[in-house]
Amino acid sequence: MQILAQLLVSGVAVGMIYGVIAFGYQLTFATSKTLNFGQGEALMLGALVGLTVASFVGYWVMLPIVLAFGLLQGAVVERLGVRPAIKSKSESGWIMATIALGIIFKNLAENIWGRDDLKFPSPIGERSIEVMGVRVLPMEIAIVAGALAMMLAVELFNRRSVFGKAVVATANDRDAAGLMGINTGQVITFSFALSSMVAALAGVLVAPVTLTGATMGSALGLKAFAVAIIGGLNSGLGVVVGGLILGITENLTGYYLSTGYKDVPGLVLLLLVLSFKPSGLFGKKTIKKV
Amino acid sequence: MRPNRRNLLLAAALSAGLSFGFRAEAQAPIKIGLTGPFTGGSSSMGVSMRDGVKLAIAEINKAGGVLGRPLVAVERDDEARNEVGVQIAQELINKERVVATLGFINTGVALASQRFYQEAEIPVINNVATGTVIAQQFAAPKEKTNYVFRTAANDIIQSGMIVEEAVTRRGFKKPAILADSTNYGQLGREDLERALAAKGMKAVATEKFNIKDTDMTAQLLRAKEAGADVILTYGIGPELAQIANGQAKLGWKVPLVGSWTLSMSSFIDTAGPNGDGAVMPQTFIQLPNTPKRRAFIEAYQAAYKVERMPSPVSAAQGYDSVLLLAAAIKQAGSTDGAKVRAALEDLKERVDGVVTVYDRPFTAADHEAISGNIPVFGVVRDGRVVPAHEEDVAGENAMRVKPRA
Repeated sequence: MQILAQLLVSGVAVGMIYGVIAFGYQLTFATSKTLNFGQGEALMLGALVGLTVASFVGYWVMLPIVLAFGLLQGAVVERLGVRPAIKSKSESGWIMATIALGIIFKNLAENIWGRDDLKFPSPIGERSIEVMGVRVLPMEIAIVAGALAMMLAVELFNRRSVFGKAVVATANDRDAAGLMGINTGQVITFSFALSSMVAALAGVLVAPVTLTGATMGSALGLKAFAVAIIGGLNSGLGVVVGGLILGITENLTGYYLSTGYKDVPGLVLLLLVLSFKPSGLFGKKTIKKV
Repeated sequence: MRPNRRNLLLAAALSAGLSFGFRAEAQAPIKIGLTGPFTGGSSSMGVSMRDGVKLAIAEINKAGGVLGRPLVAVERDDEARNEVGVQIAQELINKERVVATLGFINTGVALASQRFYQEAEIPVINNVATGTVIAQQFAAPKEKTNYVFRTAANDIIQSGMIVEEAVTRRGFKKPAILADSTNYGQLGREDLERALAAKGMKAVATEKFNIKDTDMTAQLLRAKEAGADVILTYGIGPELAQIANGQAKLGWKVPLVGSWTLSMSSFIDTAGPNGDGAVMPQTFIQLPNTPKRRAFIEAYQAAYKVERMPSPVSAAQGYDSVLLLAAAIKQAGSTDGAKVRAALEDLKERVDGVVTVYDRPFTAADHEAISGNIPVFGVVRDGRVVPAHEEDVAGENAMRVKPRA
């Protein structure tokens, strides 16, 4: 029982990491039906910039700086990679462009921060806390709390503020929103900025638990993409649940079946979802009119 | 008058150029290939190896080179990728026309690349990669002559030492094996299982993890529930650090005994205090207990402006590989691949290296310079690797030499 609880708790922590990255995919998909395949790299840049900035100004002052950096980085990706593709109505140009930008960011990071993994000190201690025989790192609690808070804040912003409403309107129907006088191009840029900001903050949150380095984003970005597919690319709740499902199944299979098969159930689930409910577990069916 | 002078000048310039060219020809440098991952997850080993090699080359050149010619390294980054390694091998052989190649950190890259050297009859000295099959790939009877040599402790030596240390010296009864899913990890796991079987034992749990895995809870809980009292590891730095950190998180502190990669700076730095006490076989520890080692460590620190060598084992083995190659070229009196190989297999000169004194290190049948008695156990303490057992490196034990065949 205690073991099951431990596996669940660790699974939730890992799942939340996947979920919060996947949330970034969902943000841009909602407004522009495009994704930033460099999401993992946005996370990596956030973590590395955070590590450097924190060494000068301390952990808490670093957070807003990293958020601002994320916003900027996302806007750059949209301007360079996505906007030209949308303009020319290219179906796949943005895929190549965001992947290419991701690779450029990775190489850039390798040149600045080196190729080795670095240690990101935890701001709230590294001694694990024991609750009824289950051990959890303070940083794991912070990941879950931080991820939930951030997603909640984004949702609230979208629902309450005028600018957020423009985002929702663009997500619902870009052409109609455009006719209503909303600058949809700006909204899309903003959604990319927001999604990279989420990724950058996620990077700072997960870095003390995972490894911090130029390649940290690749594996996480890919897993998060699977999560976004499982949960549904147009559902904020879906990606969180998807993340939890993947994190927990990984840990349970690893323990009860074999650690060699840890990644298998997640991929099986992905295939199942794709064949039976392609829009994802929580996704709404969309009909594309041509 | 004027054109005459110009012609004269031209002629003078030409003849100067010619004679210079001629002299350069006589002293053409001896090109040595140098390949390893200088970027990516295993780059701390690759870069240290490269720096060790370049240090030795600089010292040899300062003393007049080999056969009156300077040595020059042609460096190529194989990124720890097999296909890149293959391209580099072909480039070094066909375009750069190297006399020999030193390097290879990753077993997979070595196995994929060295067949080209074998075919071109150019010697290769593996100075870091440990996969047991490396030196056997072209051993008799598969091929008449084998061009692959090694100055690193192979996995059979290491796995045997790991089991000996954990079971015999420390008396653990229930070992668990944690190995990564790469060639390196899985071949090492097989060697560990064989070494345990030789003692009539079996691991209570055998777990696997992937490169970049961040959560080791499942693996560690399985080992813990199986009652393991020691963890034997085969992996590389970052993931090994996640194991140590995961242990700390679960509050389950059993010792880590594993392959030499537990000395990687990426393990020591990312695991921090959680990595303290991990032990691993080392051919070289940053400890100036002989004059040669003191000189080497000081030269390395001065040349690369570091206090702690990123991977002392790689640097030392790289350094020694140059000394052995230089001695062989000198003995062969030629840079011909077949003659250099023959000289390596029958080296008359005693080569005073930093890892050991090489007294006929290779024979036609044995291409491993490091024997089982040479490595000692290092332990991670306060962010550094120090000898695990003082008696292993004290007095006569400081310099351990391979028994003569």
